[in-house]
Amino acid sequence: MGLSRRDFLKNSVAGATAATVGMPLSQQAEAAVKAGESGWQWDKSVCRFCGTGCGIMVATKDGRIVATKGDPDAPVNRGLNCIKGYFNGKINYGKDRLTQPLLRMTDGKFDKKGKFVPISWEQAIDIMEEKMRWAMKEKGPHGISIFGSGQYTIHEGYAAAKLMKAGFRSNNIDPNARHCMASAVAAFMRTFGIDEPPGNYDDIEHTDTAVLWGANMAEMHPILWSRITDRRLTHKPMKVVNLSVYGNMSSDIADMEIIFSPSGDLAIQNYIAREIVKRNVVDWDFVKKHTVFTTGVTDIGYGFRPANAEKFASAAEMEIVKNEKVHVIDKWEAVAQRKKEGEAVEQKSAANPVRHWHISFEDFKTALEPYTLDFVAEVAKGDPDESLADFKAKLQQLADLYCDKNRKIVSYWTMGFNQHQRGTWVNEQCYMNHLLMGRMSKPGDGAFSLTGQPSACGTAREVGTFAHRLPADMVVDIKKHRDLTEKLWKLPANTLNPRVGSHYLKIMRDLEDGSVLFSWTQVNNPWQNTSNLNHWIKAAREMDNFIVVADAYPSVSAKVADLILPAAMINEKWGAYGNAERRTQVWRQQILPPGQARGDLWMTLELSKRFKLKDVWGEQKIPGLKTEGFEDGKLPNVLPAAEAMGYNPEMTLYEVLFATPENKKVKWPDPIAKGHGNHIADLLKDGWFPEKALFEEYRQFGVGKAHDLAPFDVYHDDNVRGLKWPVVQKDGKWVETQWRFNEKYDPYVSKGAGFEFYGDFAKAIPTGNLDAVTDPKPVSLAGKAKIFFWPYVSPVEKPDANYDLWLCTGRVLEHWHSGTMTRRVPELHRAVPNAVCWIHPKDAEAKGLKRNDLVWVESRRGKIKVRLETGGRNKMPRGMIYVPWFDEGVLINKVVLDATCPISKETDFKKCSVKVYKA
Amino acid sequence: MNFSGILVMAKPESQEQVVVALNALEGVEVHQVDAANGRIVAVQEAEDIHAEIEGVKRIKALPDVIMAEMVYHYLAEDERIYEAMPPELMEQQDGFETCAVPAYLNS
Repeated sequence: MGLSRRDFLKNSVAGATAATVGMPLSQQAEAAVKAGESGWQWDKSVCRFCGTGCGIMVATKDGRIVATKGDPDAPVNRGLNCIKGYFNGKINYGKDRLTQPLLRMTDGKFDKKGKFVPISWEQAIDIMEEKMRWAMKEKGPHGISIFGSGQYTIHEGYAAAKLMKAGFRSNNIDPNARHCMASAVAAFMRTFGIDEPPGNYDDIEHTDTAVLWGANMAEMHPILWSRITDRRLTHKPMKVVNLSVYGNMSSDIADMEIIFSPSGDLAIQNYIAREIVKRNVVDWDFVKKHTVFTTGVTDIGYGFRPANAEKFASAAEMEIVKNEKVHVIDKWEAVAQRKKEGEAVEQKSAANPVRHWHISFEDFKTALEPYTLDFVAEVAKGDPDESLADFKAKLQQLADLYCDKNRKIVSYWTMGFNQHQRGTWVNEQCYMNHLLMGRMSKPGDGAFSLTGQPSACGTAREVGTFAHRLPADMVVDIKKHRDLTEKLWKLPANTLNPRVGSHYLKIMRDLEDGSVLFSWTQVNNPWQNTSNLNHWIKAAREMDNFIVVADAYPSVSAKVADLILPAAMINEKWGAYGNAERRTQVWRQQILPPGQARGDLWMTLELSKRFKLKDVWGEQKIPGLKTEGFEDGKLPNVLPAAEAMGYNPEMTLYEVLFATPENKKVKWPDPIAKGHGNHIADLLKDGWFPEKALFEEYRQFGVGKAHDLAPFDVYHDDNVRGLKWPVVQKDGKWVETQWRFNEKYDPYVSKGAGFEFYGDFAKAIPTGNLDAVTDPKPVSLAGKAKIFFWPYVSPVEKPDANYDLWLCTGRVLEHWHSGTMTRRVPELHRAVPNAVCWIHPKDAEAKGLKRNDLVWVESRRGKIKVRLETGGRNKMPRGMIYVPWFDEGVLINKVVLDATCPISKETDFKKCSVKVYKA
Repeated sequence: MNFSGILVMAKPESQEQVVVALNALEGVEVHQVDAANGRIVAVQEAEDIHAEIEGVKRIKALPDVIMAEMVYHYLAEDERIYEAMPPELMEQQDGFETCAVPAYLNS
């Protein structure tokens, strides 16, 4: 045909592109594609980045990844990729991959002030063992900790959680998902009694309205955004509303952009609820059958250190932190909470912020009364250059959409809601407005929490790698849950520790005050992702403790560590992730990790060989433990009971928890591998297939509890592109669940119920009025969801004369989280090389600054240098700046406030006050 | 040489104009058009990766283009491009010794 090499390549690229997005191919193109890919092996995998969970096809040749493309058969992305996803194949190949364990040493010995020296894996595990023994001897099981991850594979998270909770009897394991999804989790559990969204991504193709609440989907979930864009163009009634504290790319196709003030969302939600009630459009049939009205304690503080804060916080910091004890009501809160301006409210419920109770509909209605259009517009208007009348008109239009009975609506949110000083409440308010109108669990109707990380759902939440959780939504402080877990894990009674461990930020505080002496970081970057960083960097470098960081690249966390463990990355190990729509997806090992890098699962298993039952299952001290059935401050010696069960005190945790006789029946090699390797099974050399065995063991937790997963091999079937749990066997087939709680789709709903919110967490609560409990007797609300009322609360730190600007932080499209991977892909680095500080041009001008000026951004906590940007993709209202956190050269978390939602313990990265001046 | 396959979505009523506009861009060729839903497959040839990224931005900026995403990329194994690293990360290219706490971490 006389095609030049260049034409040939172009045809081949076009053909591959068309095939990827499901467009028919010409025969010529098809031939070209095949020829261009000769010798490539294509396998299914999953994107390494956000919670969308796009299917990726990975091509390998001669042990290297040579290409990736969106998987045309993946229902999530249908062949599409965003720019990050597009470069999945390149993240493994940065030049500075860590390939050997490194320990800080002087003269051949560990020295906290020493320089990194390469050591063997044997030596690395030796020093970890030594330091863990020391930490546990000094402080008991809660003297050690793990910073886990929403990017753990399911197997990695399961093994780490089991080692900590069943082996070391420590609940000090908490994932970075605490920073991203904890508020969503708390609200799911409290509203429905069970975690994770009832709906799924197909809601997009069924709905008439997408309302974004603090979710810049165009940048953060671009593939879902392309589905929304598609719906917007092909379905005439479709409307898109973007609610945000600044203008962003999601406004480009939105029908309406609403710029609100930080925490103004709390007021706007109540305005919508008030309108729903006032316009008499409540779906009373649904509300009466399936919901109850509730409220709870509001004097809950802001998630700062509960005691001795002044020992660690500076005087400037204390100006804000003192609100943890007493908060003075401002003029907005006075109206919103029916209090007096200037009233000092003691935060009495800070230690127990979760208490809530039944109220009457009349009380609910009374509580909403202050949230008139006039009041809410004043509180919530976020752009000083917008007129009050224009803003009011927008709020009314928003209420019109929610009140339109003939319209289907999906509300979407991500970090805007979750990273919020009242994150749990604002999630619950969103359910309030959907439940009032019976808009839940129906195709195209629902409130949908988008996840930030690829396995925040699959691992952090479902496996339960949190300080309070066990698998399948169980928790450590409920006896029934511990009993069931001890049974499945074959542990003696009372092996598990009933005291909730330290949440992510608290582990940092524990390192600072010396109550935790050992920390191990897996699959995340705590010393870049945690707010108020100066404290934690100092704690890691200057306290007498031992910091272990497993990472693929020399991240900030690796650099502050004492021991660095080189970690394998995605596609270098077998894995499974669970995305935001409950879809569990898997991949096989495609290539080998470089040098001596190894999977985190191997590290966990290898370490477990170093501890014997006699080391950990004797009596242990747990400061603060006070639980029925336990002696105060102590875990019992369970060794005699263990021996009665056939264990021997000399057995290792590896034998008892992992390589059990049952698990060792699952043999490696396995035909399901289809010729793919497994470096972890090969290193263990004892003939079992740890990923498969652990998955099958873990699966037992969910069976029959509406958390059912299919067997390991089902997910690895060539024709399966993940399955949404509960996955229940029907006529010999494994069937996924599209919409939970809806009888039509969910096998767990009782026949004839129509809808049933069957989750059983916190489903018996007292009764009271808007201010207090009046009858403490718990009343059951089995099968029902809660409609919560929560008032508006102002942000704890607000701009003042000195720190005159709001600071909001977040991500950018091109980079994933702390940039450890994406900044090593030259294409992505060049696209957005450094973090910038977005500012309104008038704010810059007023300070005598201009675009590209190097400035200091300074708060009560710290300062960083960054360049100013007055244009580009983000349009800041006057009075607010935005600085993304991906750039380790611009460590914005040194500046950010460490206030959290007191219920979920999730940090609010979205609002604190700063000043900006020329550097 | 650097090729990328780009999926472009145009407003259905303006699809023809978008195809003309795309073909007029240097290095861009339209290869397939799906009239039913406004989808267009274009192939872009670019000097280097930087030009490739800029090229996609240029397509996104065309009138009536709703979306343009790179879907397929010809991975040319070019060691040179891996040299382009963030400057503060460049320091640690030489080896593990530079994993020491860098000055910018100190407050």
